[in-house]
Amino acid sequence: MVYSQKTPWTLVMGLIMVAYAYAVQSGAMAGVIKYLGTDRHAGEMQILGYAFGGIAVAVGLWQLVAKTAEGHIDYYLSTVGGVTFIMLVAFIVKWGLDPQMAQWGRAAQSTLGFNFASVMNLNYVVMGILAGIVIVNVFKVPAWAEHGVRLSRLGLKTGVILLGTLYSLAELAQLGKLSVVLIGIFVLGSVGVVLWIGARRGLPNSMTGVLSAGVGVCGVSAAVAAAPVVQAKSTEIAYTIGTVLMFGVVCMFVFPIVGKSLGMGYIQFGAWAGTGILNSAQVAGAALAFQPNGIETLKVAEIFNITRVLFLPIIVLWLALWYVKREVGAQQVDIGQVIFSKFPVFVLGFILMFALSSTGIFAPARHYQGAYFDNSDKIMLKTDKDGKVHSRLLGDKDLEVLKAEAEKIKRDDQKAALARLLENKKLMSIEDDDTLRGAVNAKIFSKPANDVLTKAHRAVRHTAPKIAMFRDLIAWFFTFGLVGLGMQITMASIKQAGGQPLVIGSIVGVIKAVGSLIVVLLMVSESI
Amino acid sequence: MTEDKFDRGTALTIFGTDRHEDFVALSLAVIISLLVYLFV
Repeated sequence: MVYSQKTPWTLVMGLIMVAYAYAVQSGAMAGVIKYLGTDRHAGEMQILGYAFGGIAVAVGLWQLVAKTAEGHIDYYLSTVGGVTFIMLVAFIVKWGLDPQMAQWGRAAQSTLGFNFASVMNLNYVVMGILAGIVIVNVFKVPAWAEHGVRLSRLGLKTGVILLGTLYSLAELAQLGKLSVVLIGIFVLGSVGVVLWIGARRGLPNSMTGVLSAGVGVCGVSAAVAAAPVVQAKSTEIAYTIGTVLMFGVVCMFVFPIVGKSLGMGYIQFGAWAGTGILNSAQVAGAALAFQPNGIETLKVAEIFNITRVLFLPIIVLWLALWYVKREVGAQQVDIGQVIFSKFPVFVLGFILMFALSSTGIFAPARHYQGAYFDNSDKIMLKTDKDGKVHSRLLGDKDLEVLKAEAEKIKRDDQKAALARLLENKKLMSIEDDDTLRGAVNAKIFSKPANDVLTKAHRAVRHTAPKIAMFRDLIAWFFTFGLVGLGMQITMASIKQAGGQPLVIGSIVGVIKAVGSLIVVLLMVSESI
Repeated sequence: MTEDKFDRGTALTIFGTDRHEDFVALSLAVIISLLVYLFV
């Protein structure tokens, strides 16, 4: 069977990509880039545009002129059309729709009272799948692209392996024991409950597996990470993401109302939101809705949220073992043999990357989600080639601005942190940084003073370059995988999946929310 | 997309087996990590 098709489209798409990269390079796209605020991506627009465009042009030309014969070259090169098609859609999603939606979300915030793009998680993950669904159901995937769409799962698997680099045992060790215990109980408990209900209701193992990760761990990214582990169908992933997001939106509005009516404290509410709500943006939304003029609730909620996310490696391993066992069924077989022959190798890759990241080879051990604190002179005072010293310490003018407004703060911890900042011209600890971020968040100072505090914050917080690079790469692998995945979701397959996952996901979500509320009220005091 | 459209792989993947796909993903990820480790 010859797979390559004589189509001009691979060549056309390649030319479009190259032209776009050139337009970015020459500055012709500067206006659009500035409007969308995508300056940060200008470099990758050129690299990816030229790389993928160049390959597509070369292969497109070869497919048009050369006589193709059956074989490996024909088989593998025939995927280039589909890969280019997915990448073109991914470019539009990541460099166009994603920043545009974020802008609309911010613009509508004052009218709606919340950022709908952030709350509904309308980022490249969700929009990538949606774009794929629209293409397959409205326009159909072109025949010349179908072969390449079959590479989307490879993209997802590679992304999942690389995802391991973003987690570290050192991060887990920094978290409070209570958050680890509470989250452990609820994450493992919810995964267990979904697996149990799914088996009783006769749901396919793949559906149950992906839903348990989505409901148990951290919503969308967990569902994506678990999907290839349990060989979930595209529709099942879409269902899980839909369930998690819809349930989270309801929680985001209901949680603050319940919290206030029960007279919960900041720490109690933060612990509850971080445990009971499934999606990171929605956790932050609920915490800020509960305490709009400070950062204490958000900080606690974030600690619980990151603890939940850090359970992902354990859940992935559990689901891999569970799935292998379930698929083999009740047959009497050597379980070791089965695991050896069926266990997904890419899960081991994920664990390997997690282990490597835990050794601190990609980022300093104290990093928190890729960023770390360093206020040493080596960082604050840098000497260039000409021997000129560039200081990141606050200048005299900055200090005057802060001194003039020092009286505005009333809290002792904020006063002390500000005094240390004024004395040393730099933030002296993570705690001081967090305390003064709270003051900025509460809008106590004028804009110029807040700008000085933000400058001081940026001078001591550094993003680990390797982690930032991994994050970008993972985002691309996931966008590629999810656009391709969306292209496999037809309306017929959604109907076939039925409404069961939605019901089970919601039931478990409610159990988790109510259960964590009771436990938080019983176990968490205001002095954590 | 249906299975019979392809005489190699399945409707979901171009590779013959899941394990083959896993190894390709693992190789890709290891190469990428090495490049990031060495050059970033």
